[in-house]
Amino acid sequence: MTSVLRFWIAHRQEVATLLGEHVLLVALSTAAAVAIGVPLGIFASRRPRLASPFLIASNVVQTVPSLAMFGFLLPIPLVGGVGARAALVVLVLYGLLPIVRSTIVGITGIDKSIREAGTAMGMTPRELLRQIELPLALPSIIAGIRVAAVVGVGSATIAAAIGAGGLGQYIYRGLSMVDSTVILAGAIPAAFLALVVDGGLLWLERQLSSRRRGRSRRAVAAAASLAALALAGSAALSARSSGAIVVGSKNFTEQLILGELLAQTIERDTGLQVERRLNLGGTLICDRALATGDIDVYVEYTGTALTAVFHKPPSSDRAAVTETVRTLYADSGRTLLPGLGYDNTFAILVRGTDARARGLRTIDDVAPLAPQWRAGFGYEFLERPDGYPGLAKAYGLTFRDPPHVMDLTLSYRALASGQVDLIAGDATAGLIRGLDLFQLEDNRRFFPPYDAAPVARSSTLLRYPQMKRALERLAGRITAADMREMNYAADALKENPADIARRFLEK
Amino acid sequence: MDVVEFHRVSFGHPGRPRILDDLTLNVRAGEVLALVGSSGAGKTTVLKLVNRLFLPDAGDVIVQGKNTREWDPIRLRRSAGYVIQEVGLFPHLTIAENVAVVPRLEGWSGDRIAVRVRELLELIGLEPAIYAGRWPDELSGGQRQRAGVARALAADPPVLLMDEPFGALDPITRRQLQNHFRGIQTRLGKAVILVTHDMAEAMALGDRIGVMQDGRLVWSGPSREILESDHPLVRQFVESVTPLRTSTEMPE
Repeated sequence: MTSVLRFWIAHRQEVATLLGEHVLLVALSTAAAVAIGVPLGIFASRRPRLASPFLIASNVVQTVPSLAMFGFLLPIPLVGGVGARAALVVLVLYGLLPIVRSTIVGITGIDKSIREAGTAMGMTPRELLRQIELPLALPSIIAGIRVAAVVGVGSATIAAAIGAGGLGQYIYRGLSMVDSTVILAGAIPAAFLALVVDGGLLWLERQLSSRRRGRSRRAVAAAASLAALALAGSAALSARSSGAIVVGSKNFTEQLILGELLAQTIERDTGLQVERRLNLGGTLICDRALATGDIDVYVEYTGTALTAVFHKPPSSDRAAVTETVRTLYADSGRTLLPGLGYDNTFAILVRGTDARARGLRTIDDVAPLAPQWRAGFGYEFLERPDGYPGLAKAYGLTFRDPPHVMDLTLSYRALASGQVDLIAGDATAGLIRGLDLFQLEDNRRFFPPYDAAPVARSSTLLRYPQMKRALERLAGRITAADMREMNYAADALKENPADIARRFLEK
Repeated sequence: MDVVEFHRVSFGHPGRPRILDDLTLNVRAGEVLALVGSSGAGKTTVLKLVNRLFLPDAGDVIVQGKNTREWDPIRLRRSAGYVIQEVGLFPHLTIAENVAVVPRLEGWSGDRIAVRVRELLELIGLEPAIYAGRWPDELSGGQRQRAGVARALAADPPVLLMDEPFGALDPITRRQLQNHFRGIQTRLGKAVILVTHDMAEAMALGDRIGVMQDGRLVWSGPSREILESDHPLVRQFVESVTPLRTSTEMPE
């Protein structure tokens, strides 16, 4: 807990920004859901046959997990893509159900004779709605808004996966760094925000159900100003600052640093404005964002592009992989720029002490020792064809026991503390240096290449040739050791990715 | 002059037995017509045909000389005050606001509404200083009914429709309100249709009585004549509704 407090104090400005973004996301999406949901609920309450199919449809929407919803929306023009606009669309969809339902319940729950009295007194349907039905349904509607807003606070944390910002950014960052302090730094304020929103709207609900004079007029005014705010806000959020280059990244430490590296390089060398949409939820989301133009550039790994993006079989021929990927990107209007200089492949690791004592350099050197050794691998590595099964065959490896299945991050520590003798990690993991581990050379070239290289939209590069030149100057500048050191600075020393990138570029 | 006329009016919902069958009646200005009958006889439907909540399937309903088919329903309803049993007041409006509903719909000025509300509350015996700002659920049943009558009279409509207005009250309160209403009616001279299942109330308030059964008017005439009627259905009906009162209580 004290570490969380220290984190907040050290990052107070960022915490305030993220909290502000979170509140804005929830406020705007809830306001828009009210602006759409209340009229929709009124409409549905007038047509009982429409009401139930509508509620079923919105129930179905509600059961789609929010991350999946972001995925569905990615390729859809206007509403989809990455960033705050897409997040707002999803949050509004989630907010609609409780609001529409509570509006229907509030209006249809009014005693029939009260409505009939209004009609008999000569109220037009409009007068009946504004003077009788809405005021009487208002406490129920507010209760629905309360549910929508509280659900929205939760869903908005997931919106960080598509670069919409908010407190979810800490949660994702913490998850990728396996750092509970950072997770809590985002989760605690999000939970607190949910409580505040819940309490505030409950208070409003109570205020409205205890009778106050002129409250229907006030409610109409409040609804109108909420709707206006929603319109203005979503316009502001969705307007992409004109002419800015948008840099994206995936959601793990190395990618955040690389995103900063690209962004700062473009800013320094070209003077172009750069917008950062870092921490996007994975390869697929980055790829779609690049395809739709929501981002202009991010760093991909050639082997990942080959298998995960283009679904081609793996290959260990470095030049062929790069060429294939470059061609496939070019066919879809994207350009693979020259590699940054390192290969983030699987790293077969042993303790540094063992390597030095026995003069180990390559995986072949280990093969004779393997029958006395224990190995520990992540689940994914055990299953992938380019993982343990292929590796064992290529090098003729057999271990004392079947390899232990363990969490990738934990396996580094398991190796260092002697619980296992060999693991498969990430070549650029900061812990390799931190724990004095040694990477054996893949001398038989079993692993496919995972050369890190920026991928950009070709149209952006054509419009801004100076950006292309700037990014080409990064070619070959980052060694695996450099990347390891930067990851170490972020993961072990808790330094800010932007500062790490700046220091590297100033070297 | 007839303010409300029914000429051979029939009405029903599709696929169900007819609610009204060949009904003819009339109400003059200053006259109270009390419609008596058991539930389902079609009394409330008569009221709803007057203010065009329903339109007749056959025959004509004429209000103030104009067929309801030709009336703008909104205008028609604002010129026919409606008093509904118990639930009629809007729970989210104060007594004064409830009374002011129709004048406000009609776009009266605030001053004129305030004067009118005070006048009406005094007329029906609710002290404005005490009751104007109260909420409906802070009033007793009798006070609510008084407020309901005040609301129906607010825009001074020529027609007053009353559906079991004193039905849910205890006998003493009911008798007080009936007396009070008779006094008011003498002064205001509205054309009133009063629906009730209480024969004593019909005889106390009605200038004329109509006895309804299964959508038909089986008897109508001046209220003092009803006990003398030898129409078998009326006799049977009168006795079944108020077997004790018919023998012990005579109309004034």
